[in-house]
Order: sequence, then C-alpha cells, then structure tokens
Amino acid sequence: MQQQEIHNFLERYFQSNQCEIIDNKQGYMTVQLTIELDKELMNRPFYWHYLEKTGGIPNPMQLTLITDPTIAPEDIKGEVIHFGSPRLHQIFQSTKNLAGYIRLYEDHKAAPGGQMSLRPWLGMNLRISYQCDRKKDIFQSIGLHLINGQMVDHFHDRLLKVNLTPKIPDYTFTLSPFIKPQSGIARVANYLKETISMENHDWADEARERWQKDLQLLEHFYEDTEDKGESYDNEKAALKDQYEPNVCISIVNGGLYYLTDQAIG
Amino acid sequence: MTVHIEFDSSWQNEFIQRIDNDGPWGSWELYKLAIEVEKHTVIPEFAGLQAPLHLPNLTPLPHQLEVARQVVENMNGKAILADEVGLGKTIEAGLILKEYMIRGLVKKALILVPASLVTQWSMEMNSKFFIPAVAQRKSYVWEQCDVVVSSIDTAKREPHREIIFQQDYDLIIIDEAHKLKNNKTKNYEFVQSLRKKFCLLLTATPIQNRISEIFNLVSLLKPGHLGTETAFYEKYRKDSRSLDDDEHLKQLVNKVMIRNRRQDTGIEWTKRHVETIPIEFSEDEKNLYDAVSNMHREGDWISSSQFSVMTLQREACSSREAVFYTLRNMLKKQEEPSMQFEEKIQSLIGKVEAVQRNSKAEKALDYINKINDKVIIFTEYRATQMYLQWFLKQHGITSVPFRGGFKRGKKDWMRELFQNHAQVLIATEAGGEGINLQFCSHIINFDLPWNPMRLEQRIGRIHRLGQKSDVHIYNFATKDTVEEHVLKLLYEKIHLFEKVVGDLDDILTKLQFGNIDDHLLDIFGKSSSEGEMRIKMDNLTAMIEFAETMKEESGHAATGNS
Repeated sequence: MQQQEIHNFLERYFQSNQCEIIDNKQGYMTVQLTIELDKELMNRPFYWHYLEKTGGIPNPMQLTLITDPTIAPEDIKGEVIHFGSPRLHQIFQSTKNLAGYIRLYEDHKAAPGGQMSLRPWLGMNLRISYQCDRKKDIFQSIGLHLINGQMVDHFHDRLLKVNLTPKIPDYTFTLSPFIKPQSGIARVANYLKETISMENHDWADEARERWQKDLQLLEHFYEDTEDKGESYDNEKAALKDQYEPNVCISIVNGGLYYLTDQAIG
Repeated sequence: MTVHIEFDSSWQNEFIQRIDNDGPWGSWELYKLAIEVEKHTVIPEFAGLQAPLHLPNLTPLPHQLEVARQVVENMNGKAILADEVGLGKTIEAGLILKEYMIRGLVKKALILVPASLVTQWSMEMNSKFFIPAVAQRKSYVWEQCDVVVSSIDTAKREPHREIIFQQDYDLIIIDEAHKLKNNKTKNYEFVQSLRKKFCLLLTATPIQNRISEIFNLVSLLKPGHLGTETAFYEKYRKDSRSLDDDEHLKQLVNKVMIRNRRQDTGIEWTKRHVETIPIEFSEDEKNLYDAVSNMHREGDWISSSQFSVMTLQREACSSREAVFYTLRNMLKKQEEPSMQFEEKIQSLIGKVEAVQRNSKAEKALDYINKINDKVIIFTEYRATQMYLQWFLKQHGITSVPFRGGFKRGKKDWMRELFQNHAQVLIATEAGGEGINLQFCSHIINFDLPWNPMRLEQRIGRIHRLGQKSDVHIYNFATKDTVEEHVLKLLYEKIHLFEKVVGDLDDILTKLQFGNIDDHLLDIFGKSSSEGEMRIKMDNLTAMIEFAETMKEESGHAATGNS
C-alpha cells in the first residue's frame, strides 16, 4: 500500500463508520470520532466507564493522521501512519471486527404483481496460513448454497457484481435453508481440509529438515553436559515454535446472503 | 508426511448467536473494506520480502535486499549484520524492521546507536521507511512511543534503565555492536537484560576468530544456545583460535552472521586515482624544519618526550602556524621555564617568523584552480585549518571549516554550505567521521595521518555508495622529511590507497601488533641513524605483507555466508 492508498483507505474507513472528517488535505486528515469509534480505537475504557457511571456528556476525541509527512504542513500535530504502523494495524483489525458478520439481500426489480423468491447462501472469506519458520497465506472466498449444497469459489468477487441491501426488498420472500448454517460451516471446513491435505507439502518436510539440523547443532553444544538445565529446554522449545509446520485456517468474515437464481452464475 | 490443519472455530459460535438474535450485522461498505485489507496483508509467498513494495522513497541495492531476506527467512530475526563500512547497514536494518512491522510481528522496537547518530537514524527511519522512529529526549518516550532511538549510554542510566527493563521489545537494533564483545561490561549486561523477541547487532568489524567473542555475541542473540559458559570454554578453550577447525562453530556463525564485502556486492565502484605530490620546502621552511629536527641533539634542555619533536616535525610540514601554536603551548606549560628553555623556544619562534610563504598552500591553490570543482582538504591541525581558510580567501576561493567538535546541527549546516555555496571544505581529522559527502570527488591530504584507518575514513567520506564519479586523492608530501618516509612506507609500499576498508581492517586486527602510531613513533623517534630507521621500516612492511598473504590463504573463513 502506498501512502496515497492508505489515505484513501482511511477516508473510507471513517466515512463508513459515520465519522465526520473535519479536515482532509494533502498528506493528513483530522477526524471527529463517534463514541463507538472512540471506544474502538482510543483505548480509554476508564473514561467511558466513568462517564457512563456519572452520566456526563460524552466527548469523543478528534484524531489527526498524517499520511505523508513530506507534504503535510509542518505545524500539524498528529500520528504518522505508514504501512506497518501499529495504528494502521489496529484500524485494519477494527475493520475486520466491525464487519465480521453480515446478512444481505439481493436488491432486484420484482416483476410487477409477482413475488420473488431468494435463495439462502452461506458466504465465508478465509485466510489459509501455511506456517513453519516461514509463512505464506492464501485468501479464499467460498459460497455454499444452503439448499442444494453447491459450493463456489471466488464468491466475494461474484457478490461485488450484485446489488445488495441489508433490508429485505418488497414483494420478496426467502426460502428456508435445508442445510443449517452450522453444518454449512462444517462442510466448508471439511472441503478445505481435504483439499489442503492433498496438496504437495514439500515445504513442511523441508522445514522439518531445517529443524532437525538446528536440533543437532544444539545437541552438540550440550553433549558433554550432564544436567542440561532450563536454558536447554527453553532453546529446544523455541526451535519447535520456530519450525513446526502447520496450516491454520481462520475466517476473516462471512454471513448469510439471499440471492436470486441468476445472481451466482 | 501430513501436516496438522487447524480450523479456527471461534468465528462460528458468534455467527450462530447472531443468527439466533437476528443481528447485529455489519455494514457492507466496511465488510468490503475488510476484504481489501485482507488482500493487502496476506503474504503470498514463503520467500521474499513485502517491505520493498511499500517503500516508494527507497531503491534498496541487491545485497541489502538479500541481507534482509536472509535475516527474515533463515535467521528468524536474530542476526549479526557485519557488512563492510559504507554498504548501508542502516538500510538493511530498516528493511528488516519494516518487514516485521508489515507482517505485524513487531510493534515495539528499540534502536541503540552512538549518541552522534541518534538524529540521523531517526531521520532515515522516518524519511526512507515511513517508520515514526522517535529520538529519545523525554523519559515518557520509552513507554509511549513504539519505535525509539537512543544512545546506549543514556538508556543504561537511571531513571531510563528501570523503565526500559519493564518494556517488552519485539525488536532491538544495536549499532556498533562490536563494543559488546566483552561480557563483563555494563553495556553488555544491560543489553542482555532487555526483553526482546528479535535482535539485530550491527558492526563493521567482523567477529574475530576468537571463541569468547563468538560466545558473547551469540549469547545475546540466542541465550542458552551454546550451552553453559563453563562447559563451552572447557570444550573450546577461551582464547584458542580453533574456530576454523570446528565445523559446528563455523556452521553456527554462518547461521547468525552476514558479512558483505565491497567486491561481493556486484556494485560498480568508481575508481580511486591516487597521486602523490612532492612539495619542495622554501629556504625558510627548510630552516625551520631542520631547527625543529635538531632539538633533541642539542643537549637535554628539552625534557619533554620524543613525541613533541615528532609532532613539531610533522607540523613544520603542514604550516608555520601549527608549529607556532605548539611552541607557545610548550612555553605556557612550563611553570618556571629555565632561561635556556625560553631562549631556545624564542629562537625557534624566530625561525617561524622568518617563514614568509607556505609552499604547500600555494600548491594546494594551484590544484584547486586546476580541479575547478568541489574539493575537500584534510589537515591534522586546527592552526593549519584556520590559516588555509584565510589564505584561500585572499585568493578569492570560498571555503567552510569542519571539525569533529561541531554540534550535529552545525555539521549539517556546514555540509549544506559546502554543497551549495563553497568550493572547498577544510576538515580536521576529527571531522572525518559521521558525515557523507558523496557529491564531492576530490580530496587533498594536506598532511598525512599516521594511522591508515583514519586515512581510510577520510576517503570513505566521499568514496561510498552514491558516489558517481571516480575519486581523486592528492597526497601532499614534503621532500626529505618524515612525511615522505611515512608516505613511502605505508602508502606506496603496501599500496594502501588502492585497498578498501575491510581489507585493512582484517589485516590490522589479525596482526594484533598494536597501534600503528606506536610503531611509527618508535621508528622515527627512537632510531639513532638513517640505517636503523630503514631496517625498522622494512620490518614493519614485511609484517603487513605477511599478514596480507596469510589472509589471502585463509580465504573468507568464518566471515562469508554461503
């Protein structure tokens, strides 16, 4: 992410959270936080606790973020945001927290006089992390038709082409799912586990080899010592943490979608 | 072999709950944003760095990227970066810090550097890496800022010390880490007590093949990895140099240390052209030099050491002003100078006053006019520095002075004046360090330092990354003086000028024959005849040559990272 992209991202983040952007110039912006976002970002639980107890007037903070110190005015005081800065990580995290779960309906034009049925889908966006002493991630977006069990890839990208609304549109009804969301999630999990276990795992074998080599080296320095002591165990545990290969599937966000038959081709 | 696959189930419980409670549901706009974030933060490959993609202000060199990659991929963020001077260790450290920050593995970092470099480090982190590193000035900074730059001397003192010990650092970077070779020092103890996940030690001096140094530095990075201290030393004997024979130790060093040499970087370094310019004394100057040289032959009126005679001789090769200052100080230091002493000094001062012109300065003027470009003049003496500034001004040439004693701000200011307004920068020895002047490519060594490392530092100011032209070095040496002898020995016989820092580093430390200054003092000060002087000089040369061949034969043991 370049600095300008970060700037645009922050703009969208605060706007989607109903915060007023007081000042938005080249290289920086000042935002009036809402109460919710103050609680989310500013880490001052005591203030909010105190306020709720005493019934005072809430006074959420303003936040100035500098996205490019080279073009921002010199007298501007604020936090410098860069890709990798803890504040940006926090906002990334908060974006995920605030939008972890969703329910949306397709906003279509119903035929005059008629009624339209929408079919339930479970959509999940996942991060699959392959980790040992190195790490790589894969992003996957999977949709599951909760009536016929059809599973599709790149679900999110398909959704972007559909008009969606949080309220069920007029003259529309939803069909009940045959597959419960809970077992839907299990189906997705099993499908992923199966596919992943079929993959080539040379990377894991290589990591185990490196691990073994390091262990041998460690052994060598301790081979003449009777009582190896705590530091030996610590170092050994550290090597396990560092090298042991595993795959972690975590869910970024997901939800229920009610779509027409045509929506997902 | 199969791999353990874990499916995070925390998400689904809340999902079911929200379905049961009919909400609350997130906004579509934020939901889409979250996925964009995700796509930005996934790391798509096991290998490779993310940081360079996010740094529009920086084009790292291949070897710098390679170092950062090695440290992140193979060394788990615990490494000694031991590149030769001028290859950009700061950039490497910055890349690693940035990479870990992007991956969300480092939040809190502490950078410990020499006091004179604190501002420079924090500036570079900010401008090149967009890392808001803060130079520590107030004590609340330790707790409130995520990336702090400080000097180790400040950090280890109360009240800072106690606050720092309470912090959990994800990454610690230590510049000039060769100062931590000895585990009995306060600095070592301090660094050892810091709580850290990753650690980078930066040093331009390679680890010598000495067992205790390896034990101490590796123990900072990986406590406990080498077993207990006693057991380790029993096995490897404290001062033995058996590193080369021990496969395990060698393996270990390669696991924690990276060292690039200039020649391995694949960068086209611009050439060095070295020219010796012989200077002829004028009659008066020659008289002064001879008078000074004959001081110790004329009875014991001068009780002070050989050193002042040597100093005066060298000064006489530089400027009469330099000699005058020293003479005056000699006189001042004596509480009750004897008549004889005073007379003698006065007669020398008379000789000083008889000198009407400075042959070297005139030659320098010729060259400055001929070069017709930016020039740096180095001299060892402040008196000469002041004289030169006056002299050049008389001839319509603008110059700025530069000294080690200047405050950081003044140094930067002088550098800028030189870059934009003046033709000449006149620097004294101490001014050589900590300033980069790549925009200039001509150096005049008005007088020569005896310590070759100092000379290399002088040249290193301009012959470094970013220098676009060939570098020209003009050595001024007055004929038939100590200066000429030194030049012959150090700079012509062993081709010092064509060498680069790292080589010499290696040679001198490997020899361990102590301070070069002491050897020269012995040769020029204590020899009773020309013959003795020549023999001693040949010995010294032979020793250096021997060390060189030794080094070539032993190859790059323990220092290369293959």
